[in-house]
Amino acid sequence: MTEAPILIVGGGPAGASAAATLAEAGLPVLLVEQRDQLGGAIHRQPANGAGNHVWRPARHRRNWAALTARLRACAGMIEIRTQTVFLGVDGEGRFLFDDRRAGRVFASRPRAAIVAVGAVETIRPFPGWELPGVMTAGGAQVLLKETGRPPEGPILIAGSGPLLPALAAQLARAGNPPVAVLERGRPWRRPATLARLALAGGPMGEAAAYAAALALARVPYRGGAVVTRAEPDGAGLTVGMRIGADERVLRVRHLLIHDGIEPNRVGIPLPAPEAAVPVLLAGDGREALGADAALLDGRRAALQLLARLGAGAAELAGLESRLERARRVQAALAQALRSEPVEPAPETLICRCEGRSYADLQALDGDASAREIRLMGRFGLGACQGRFCGPMIAALRGRPVPAASPPRWPLRPVSVAALARLSTDETE
Amino acid sequence: MASSAAIHVAVIGAGIVGAAAAHFLAAAGARVTLLDASGPAAGATGASDGAVSVASKRPGPMMDLARHARAFYVRCERDGLFRGLFHRRSTFLVARTAVEAELVARHGADLAAAGERVVEVDRATLLARIPGLGASVCAALEIPDDGHALGYEITQRLLGRSRIAIRRNAPAAEIVMRAGRAAGVAIGDELVAADAVLVAAGIGSAPLLGLGEILIPRKGQMAVTDRASPSGPAIDGHLMAASYLAAKRGIAREDGHIGLVIDPLMTGQFLIGGSREDHRSDHATDARTIAAILREALDLYPPLAHRRVLRSFAGVRTASRDGLPIVGAHPRREGIVIATGFEGDGICLGPFMGACAARLLLGEAPAVDLKALSPQRFLRVEAHA
Ligand SMILES: Cc1cc2nc3c(=O)[nH]c(=O)nc-3n(C[C@H](O)[C@H](O)[C@H](O)COP(=O)(O)OP(=O)(O)OC[C@H]3O[C@@H](n4cnc5c(N)ncnc54)[C@H](O)[C@@H]3O)c2cc1C
Ligand SMILES: Cc1cc2nc3c(=O)[nH]c(=O)nc-3n(C[C@H](O)[C@H](O)[C@H](O)COP(=O)(O)OP(=O)(O)OC[C@H]3O[C@@H](n4cnc5c(N)ncnc54)[C@H](O)[C@@H]3O)c2cc1C
Repeated sequence: MTEAPILIVGGGPAGASAAATLAEAGLPVLLVEQRDQLGGAIHRQPANGAGNHVWRPARHRRNWAALTARLRACAGMIEIRTQTVFLGVDGEGRFLFDDRRAGRVFASRPRAAIVAVGAVETIRPFPGWELPGVMTAGGAQVLLKETGRPPEGPILIAGSGPLLPALAAQLARAGNPPVAVLERGRPWRRPATLARLALAGGPMGEAAAYAAALALARVPYRGGAVVTRAEPDGAGLTVGMRIGADERVLRVRHLLIHDGIEPNRVGIPLPAPEAAVPVLLAGDGREALGADAALLDGRRAALQLLARLGAGAAELAGLESRLERARRVQAALAQALRSEPVEPAPETLICRCEGRSYADLQALDGDASAREIRLMGRFGLGACQGRFCGPMIAALRGRPVPAASPPRWPLRPVSVAALARLSTDETE
Repeated sequence: MASSAAIHVAVIGAGIVGAAAAHFLAAAGARVTLLDASGPAAGATGASDGAVSVASKRPGPMMDLARHARAFYVRCERDGLFRGLFHRRSTFLVARTAVEAELVARHGADLAAAGERVVEVDRATLLARIPGLGASVCAALEIPDDGHALGYEITQRLLGRSRIAIRRNAPAAEIVMRAGRAAGVAIGDELVAADAVLVAAGIGSAPLLGLGEILIPRKGQMAVTDRASPSGPAIDGHLMAASYLAAKRGIAREDGHIGLVIDPLMTGQFLIGGSREDHRSDHATDARTIAAILREALDLYPPLAHRRVLRSFAGVRTASRDGLPIVGAHPRREGIVIATGFEGDGICLGPFMGACAARLLLGEAPAVDLKALSPQRFLRVEAHA
């Protein structure tokens, strides 16, 4: 029997870095990615195979080129399966995958697994966020990367976080700068934190480049500014906003919203580094620390696994301290952009899949369990199974919504026909 | 016993049965403390299908009880308590082989004998009612008076309407006896004093009452699809395969542990089940079982191939050794009433049985004769063993 491979889920920087590290150490790897190409959130490629022309700092492009070269160099040890969605682990320990090309679900029992599925975007809901014309900033960035074209018509970007100016700069470079960027936080009021960030190097150079691009395109960047509602208006939207104490209204075609990212954990197996089949998390899916850290974290997970499998490992301490630095940068950033939570209007939609509002959430008992929120409230019962509304609900209730235990599969909707055709690598 | 106006009852278990009992006790003026180890509908009630179905019941006391229980739903819907939560819809008992057709016919005769409306449907008529039905379906019976309700919605309504405060995360460790009768319930170091105790704790009733030999956990796995219609049931009735009947009538088959039902939910989704796995009380689902259920379902109703599975889940039924529920006064310990063992029928039976248990606790006679369900029967068996 050939040796069971090590499973790596997610072909972003973390997963690819883990795959290269393990393969270089001589272990067979199965790398599974749901998209048709590797690259993850940051190196998303156009669907037609053309290059990704969206402006990104050269450092990211160089890192990715180096990583793909390493993957190519040990291609013999790595089986890459794209268009294959990891569905979770079933109650009998099978790792399940939806092979979308073959239209079939297959199960396998890897020797160990590193799960590097990245982060999900969060938003802070307001009435109208679900309207056509409103999209997450990350979603818009993916479209931009995949089509190479910015959306047409006036664009407003709102929410919080470093993605806001980054996307604004990319849109400006692509020919359609947004009319404004509304940042919920007031970074200018925390000069000490900003100064600390300025010393952090890498990411801040990136921020400065974006800021310069925004200044050049004359895109206003306003702190302490929030969207209060959006309403349909012909082919576009009327967006109500509060900037400091001022209420204003703006007509735009697209409203791009974003309030940070969180590890994607819905249905993901719990980390179990010491189990018979060790499971480790890596990258933004473990801790949202950004693209540079994801590379390190994928390597860290691989080295940890090598140590666990008795293949020895050095270098871990150095990685940990560099990750710690990334953690401090993220914490400082969060501190600089911190803002008080705002209670949404009762009619504000929370669960888009099932059409449930903030009033519906409040109608539940204060001590309602995760199960009650799901069953009685019908929150998170739809296609996303709470991946998107879960963090919103946690923020609104001021405490995390405990995950279902055992984690539920399938973690993505899967065709009945494909699942009925289940194949396993078991001898039965 | 204290007068019913003053009686304080501790109800253990906030599933559909405990919630119904608590509701009707409170409505009769009793003081109620409702305890649950976790929260409302945390057990089978929140992890089940909701067929309020006479069609599926074993002939005998179960079939008769189910007719009463379904009528109770109809009354509660009419008088407002269950308004909007109970929906009438047909059950189709479908056969795919000659042997199955014979079983379905026999079952239909039993249903008719119990007074149930039963309509024979030929393949052409059935296809007109449910377009896309599988080629293997050769015979079917329609039971037009069945219905559907979601256990957790009924539970929530029962609790909401009576404004009963439920104590969550309150696992009963023991029923405390004093001078030969129930004096309350111990939760950790705390004693919740009560004049009487209802044990409606599903499978959790076994350790509380020492019924480990009599109650068997029976896991059921199911899958939920995305919406086939924007709202309202996607097909005009509940499809129940003969394999499900066989499981219910205690007939062993090779592919034994799957009794297939395809249930069109009010949301437009399908609920597809289910397995019957004895002595399993975990909530894990496995791909082999779910895939096997889906293969059966596709054979019966091929248009499911266009649907996607959103989630799988498992619930734990509480089966008694003889297959009948256990409802009645504890044979040896005064002040304790038991209501458990509803296996795969507790959504249908639950509200009615809860109401019956409430009457027993109040010292009144229940609306129907419950002798067949009496806990007493196991004492006798024990004595003869
Ligand atoms: C919207 C958004 C914008 C960002 N913008 C920037 C930026 O401008 N600059 C910056 O430095 N960082 C940015 N980041 C962060 C950066 O993208 C991440 O830090 C980095 O990509 C994390 O790498 P990763 O490998 O952990 O996850 P990802 O890059 O997210 O990779 C995860 C991979 O897993 C795959 N996957 C997920 N679920 C499954 C599944 N069930 N089955 C199979 N495959 C699956 C995904 O398709 C993806 O390819 C952004 C992140 C997001 C979400
Ligand atoms: C897959 C599946 C499908 C089903 N389909 C149908 C159907 O279509 N139609 C139908 O009629 N029935 C169906 N059933 C059966 C139905 O769900 C059950 O019979 C019914 O829910 C039982 O209700 P209950 O209140 O007796 O028990 P449960 O709902 O199990 O409630 C017991 C409660 O007691 C609590 N508890 C346990 N121990 C303690 C303790 N020591 N202290 C405090 N609290 C405790 C638990 O937390 C739980 O909340 C199905 C069941 C399953 C599993």
